[in-house]
Amino acid sequence: MASPQKLPVVILACEIMKSMLPDLLPDGLVDQLTYFDYGLHRVPNKLTWTLQEAIDSIETPSLIVLGYGLCGNGLNGIRARQHTLLIPRVDDCIAILLGSHKKYMQEFEAVPGTYYLSKGWLESGSHPLKEYHEYVEKYGEKDAAWVMDQQYRHYDRLALVAHTPADIDKYRAQAEAVARYCEQWGMRYEEILGSDVYVRRMIEVIAALEKADDDFVIVPPGGEIRQEQFIR
Amino acid sequence: MSEVLAAISTSVIEGNLNDCVKLTQEALAAGMAADTILDNGLMPGMDYVGVEFKAGNMFVPEVLRSARAMQGAMDLVRPLLSATGASMTGKIILGTVKGDLHDIGKNLVAMMCEGAGFEVKDLGKNIEPDAFVKAVKEFEPNIVGMSALLTTTMRSMEHTIKALEEAGLRDKVKVMIGGAPVTQSFADQIGADGYASNAASASEMAKKFAKA
Repeated sequence: MASPQKLPVVILACEIMKSMLPDLLPDGLVDQLTYFDYGLHRVPNKLTWTLQEAIDSIETPSLIVLGYGLCGNGLNGIRARQHTLLIPRVDDCIAILLGSHKKYMQEFEAVPGTYYLSKGWLESGSHPLKEYHEYVEKYGEKDAAWVMDQQYRHYDRLALVAHTPADIDKYRAQAEAVARYCEQWGMRYEEILGSDVYVRRMIEVIAALEKADDDFVIVPPGGEIRQEQFIR
Repeated sequence: MSEVLAAISTSVIEGNLNDCVKLTQEALAAGMAADTILDNGLMPGMDYVGVEFKAGNMFVPEVLRSARAMQGAMDLVRPLLSATGASMTGKIILGTVKGDLHDIGKNLVAMMCEGAGFEVKDLGKNIEPDAFVKAVKEFEPNIVGMSALLTTTMRSMEHTIKALEEAGLRDKVKVMIGGAPVTQSFADQIGADGYASNAASASEMAKKFAKA
């Protein structure tokens, strides 16, 4: 990679990053910053082709930062074309919100059956209570309750994750409403204060790619994002 | 395919439990063989559901309703199959791997394998590699099927294969894997014998392995 830090920098990020990126990005580092709908995550194929289309539309060879994780294989198979791609090496945004892969694994190992809520999911994504209401409209109350039970009966915890105490305060009431609904499966409610450390480190790597360690995936021009690169 | 069988398939696809059970009861009362209803009515319906789900045209709640409809009819058909002494296709052990609590997909595979004539031992969810090993020793299956819904837990599949190797059991069974994040290339990488992208193709693959 010949001085890739001199390449124009483009960030294509999930809207979830909106609460962190603008405050942390230094002036002049990024040439283009585009956010995409949270909802793309729910249909991984849609995420793949939306991002591929965005990458393909950029002509000048650039450093393209994907503000995503593997996201249910949504990034698997994306081609770099003439660009260099930089991606946080995480399964999904929960590790980014928590601040590190390690923290995510700690939480995962402590309570594998955790449903994570975040600002993004509460605002435009989905959560069990919203799903229930959608199912009631489609299938009626009895079947909706049965379907929900099939999907969530093994979960143990509902966790609200945010990287600032202010966000936790802001989304508590909404999260608690979901928590009350989830009590039927014995799910307990917890709040987890995350951190913006991962995003800060990503910004450092953008400025100097050689700082990338095993918390980041770099795909050189001509390469392709592969699931294996994310599995650790 | 007869009209009745087509209607049974449709009731599975539409997830209509009442219709599915009623049509099956009527077909049985009219003298139709249980295995005909299963092979040409219920299974093709669920095959279709599996393909449509993978293609993104059907969603989890719809698949669940279809499975429930089929299960309802299976409850009527099953005792009649064993009564006619239908020979077992083979034995299969299924489980969702360690750290993973998602069992909808695995349950579907269990149902399809049962429909395909397998004796199914469903270990459940969050199954440690050692528990798979123990079950292989006790149950002596032809096939071990593992499921994971998370990229985080996919690694447990590799650990389970290693545990089977260490116990000297790896060459006694075929290992199949599946689940939303699982791919053929991951299956190759960890040395699984097969990857299936939906429950219907899982049961088809299991049949091939059992014959081999």
